[in-house]
Amino acid sequence: MSLPSGTRNYTYAQDMAILRTKTHWALFIGFLALLLAAPLYLGNYWLGVANLIGITLIAATGLNLLTGYCGQLSIGHAGFIAVGAYTAAVLTNRFDQPFLMGLLCAGLMAGLIGIIFGLPSVRVKGFYLAITTIAAQFIIIWVINHWSITGGFVGIKVPYASIAGFEFRSETSQFFLIISIAALCTFFAKNLTRTRVGRAFIAIRDNDLAAEVMGINLLYYKLLAFFIGCFMAGIAGALLAHWIGFLNAEQFSLTESILYIGMIIIGGLGTTIGPIFGVVFIRLLQQILTVEIVPFMESTFTMFPAGFATGVTPMLFGLAIILFLILEPRGLAHRWALLKSAYRLWPFSY
Amino acid sequence: MAELLQYVITGISVGMVYALIALGFALIWKSSSVANLALGQIVLISSWFTYAMLVQARFPVWLAFPLVVLFALGLGWAIERFALRPLIAQPILALITVTLGIGYFIEGVVTFIWPWSVDALPRLFPREVVHIGPAVISQEYVWVVGICLAVFVLLTLFFRYHKMGIAMRATADDQLAVQACGIPVTAVFSRSWMFACVVAAVGGILIASIGGITHGLVETGLKAFSVVILGGLDSFLGAVIAGPIIGLCESLGGGYLTPYLWGGVKDIIPFVIIIIVMVIKPYGLFGEERIERI
Repeated sequence: MSLPSGTRNYTYAQDMAILRTKTHWALFIGFLALLLAAPLYLGNYWLGVANLIGITLIAATGLNLLTGYCGQLSIGHAGFIAVGAYTAAVLTNRFDQPFLMGLLCAGLMAGLIGIIFGLPSVRVKGFYLAITTIAAQFIIIWVINHWSITGGFVGIKVPYASIAGFEFRSETSQFFLIISIAALCTFFAKNLTRTRVGRAFIAIRDNDLAAEVMGINLLYYKLLAFFIGCFMAGIAGALLAHWIGFLNAEQFSLTESILYIGMIIIGGLGTTIGPIFGVVFIRLLQQILTVEIVPFMESTFTMFPAGFATGVTPMLFGLAIILFLILEPRGLAHRWALLKSAYRLWPFSY
Repeated sequence: MAELLQYVITGISVGMVYALIALGFALIWKSSSVANLALGQIVLISSWFTYAMLVQARFPVWLAFPLVVLFALGLGWAIERFALRPLIAQPILALITVTLGIGYFIEGVVTFIWPWSVDALPRLFPREVVHIGPAVISQEYVWVVGICLAVFVLLTLFFRYHKMGIAMRATADDQLAVQACGIPVTAVFSRSWMFACVVAAVGGILIASIGGITHGLVETGLKAFSVVILGGLDSFLGAVIAGPIIGLCESLGGGYLTPYLWGGVKDIIPFVIIIIVMVIKPYGLFGEERIERI
């Protein structure tokens, strides 16, 4: 266990607690305070980035449960996010339902679609499942583009989120909404992985045949993983819809799905803290590249054809995914664990 | 009637190209059990490279094509050497996602060099139409079918008679035994990636010469997966038979279903087939069902 020496347990509750020592508590409260005070020191622009990171984190946490814990590779996550986003958009825009209703339905709908496309996972895995989810991505986007209720290629407007008459108009109010849901999801994921369900997921990931022999119902747990993963994707989609205010299927491309896989790999598969690192890393890099570096390159190297620098972003992301897989397959979360133990053991090396 | 025949012939020829690209997948899967999801991007970059040779550098065709083949060989070698070899014996999840990363990277490179993203290859085949029965077919489709068949025959002969081909088949069968016989397994992996890229490049040129170079080529590469799935992952014969089936489904479905369904139904038929095959017969028509033991 990575705890300072002298930490003793007198009850089971103490043993199971996430925050064990006073230092943990102090750091946690400090972090929360820093996070919740973000609107005070972040400008509107960076607050928007923080909102995007929060939304992405919810979806990535879902994908991490599905892929990182249960081992079911899904390359259609953006498709499931789109399902949630459009469910929320259609319910609030066309049927005048309240925001919370739309949020819940978005999650349930995405979860349901996830179960449908997850059904083949009972018989196949690995590459077959990857292809199935890619197919799911294309089918979902095609339906969205052609069904009249979703606004098709034109797109659909989404009203602001509102709870009991309070409208989340400013970035600040949306920040609190998004961050609280993201925190809830992370807390849920952290605890889920310590229960029977989470352990069943891990057993399935490590060897699904052995898991079945141990008495784990594969059908139930694999579909449950798909449901939970896609439910979170749906919630993230709904928040995204209300945050952007306008939806178009272009926002949910296959490359976005691959990016989500990249996030949880860079962060560290099968850890709760991994998605946080991965999402922050990818989204910040994306922001810096598109806002700072690409325009700079465009204006500096004018001898190249216009628009060439937009290729830099996918190049770097692809490179990051490859390099992390080769050099640090356990992701940034592993580095973080190493850093923590180095701090704990200092000045000794172990 | 003429319409039907036209759909059938275009369907078969497009299906043959899918089959060709699918062969590129099966080559790698058979020797090293790596699922190459970057296939679409390899198709894309090799068609752009052909464009660069033919249009930008103005090389004549007899010079351009060997260069394209060399480029594809180099691409395959580089991918295997720098991305896949360090990951030998890693879990399948890592092997799949690394090809996703490669695909992403290649897409970036393509945008970097050719940012205008849509262009046409010069006509490679004669323009005159041919009349088959009542149908009027553009001649390029006939050429495409011919070239695809020629590549199939070449590959089959290679695998049957050439020493390297036999080594590849042996590697697919049992890597440990092959290593014990003194066959360099890493070299076999490398060759299979090189050949796969060449095959994908040929497929890319053929389809780009008909439909132009667009980002849709990535999707074409993905559609080839439906051929792989339907035919069975490790079967060349399966790919050759499933290709035209998928092509036919696509063109017939696109032709006759569009009035009843939403437009663009043609583009998702291969993906719907993937889902159906997954539910009914996941290992495809000719694939080997893997029996796992703990």
